[in-house]
Amino acid sequence: MGDQLVYRPTLPGDDLEALGSALTAAFVEVRAALDAGRPVTVVLRAADLEGQGSPLDAALATGVLGMVRTLAIEGAKPGWRVNVVAGGGDDDGAVEETVALLADPPFSGQLLQTGGANLGKVVA
Amino acid sequence: MSAGTAIVTGAAGGLGGRIGERLAAAGHDLLLVDLDPRVEEVARAQGAAFVIADLTSEDGVGAVVAAAGDEVAVLVNNAGITRDARATKMEEAAFAAVIEINLLAAIRLTLALEDKFTEGAAVVNMSSRASLGNFGQANYSASKAGLVGFGRALAQRWAPRVRVNAVAPSLVDTPMTQAMPPEVLAKLVEKIPAGRIGSPDDVAGAVAFLASDDAAYVTGQVIYVCGGRSVAP
Repeated sequence: MGDQLVYRPTLPGDDLEALGSALTAAFVEVRAALDAGRPVTVVLRAADLEGQGSPLDAALATGVLGMVRTLAIEGAKPGWRVNVVAGGGDDDGAVEETVALLADPPFSGQLLQTGGANLGKVVA
Repeated sequence: MSAGTAIVTGAAGGLGGRIGERLAAAGHDLLLVDLDPRVEEVARAQGAAFVIADLTSEDGVGAVVAAAGDEVAVLVNNAGITRDARATKMEEAAFAAVIEINLLAAIRLTLALEDKFTEGAAVVNMSSRASLGNFGQANYSASKAGLVGFGRALAQRWAPRVRVNAVAPSLVDTPMTQAMPPEVLAKLVEKIPAGRIGSPDDVAGAVAFLASDDAAYVTGQVIYVCGGRSVAP
């Protein structure tokens, strides 16, 4: 395994064109790292996955998660490792610790959430 | 008495047309929208108004907003495309095009109609089971999963005036699936607990439910209309 890519997508805020650019950039950069044999960990805000902020930030978060899952399915044979860590608020330390754990992960396509804001919520 | 205007995008296709029929049966005045000029034929058959518009452009969105009247009760964001390829072979432009049409155009139209939605109006976004991941569809998965997040957030931002939900179909009987080699289609159907391909009616029924007062307490949700595919091995 190569060096881990820790990827934090650029949040679009209220800029629709920026949402498109951010999703496409995420695809290009994550794919390039996987192609190079690097494990990838994408870091998202849990609140965005739950739709608790800007609608476009939420679209970015869930969009990237859907893309990651497809890349994990396609990467089963070549052994791609791409996962998502979602957290935020007062659990930044937990996010960084979880990211470090994923430097050489034995699985792919998974969403790991820190903190507890997701408990009792729908995050498919 | 009319139940208000219902706008359906991607209405030239079989699924969009069927959704329109269900909403018309529920008493809505229809505005059917598509880039494909065949939407005119569909609209005439249903006695509906129509707009031929490119929703990736401000002009196209403006044309729909202008034709929508002052009170929109339902918006169904159904327009979409596929540009499938394995991620290693997928052109960046193909990724961006699917995002633009499936996700950004839907967002653009929805936000442009904000002031026209009536109290209790419903937005239904056409997502997909592929939003959970699907081989050869990194772009499509991202676009359809993006619609889920957008809807979750908008549901909270616009509550209680407007409800926002999504329908996530899987394999549906359309000209595209009818063109598949029978053996390929049969293998895909094998993975569906319901034991059959979905019909446009299956999907349109879920859309009609979410658009109706029966779903008055449902917002920010996704209904998977996939014959159980989303929970099967």
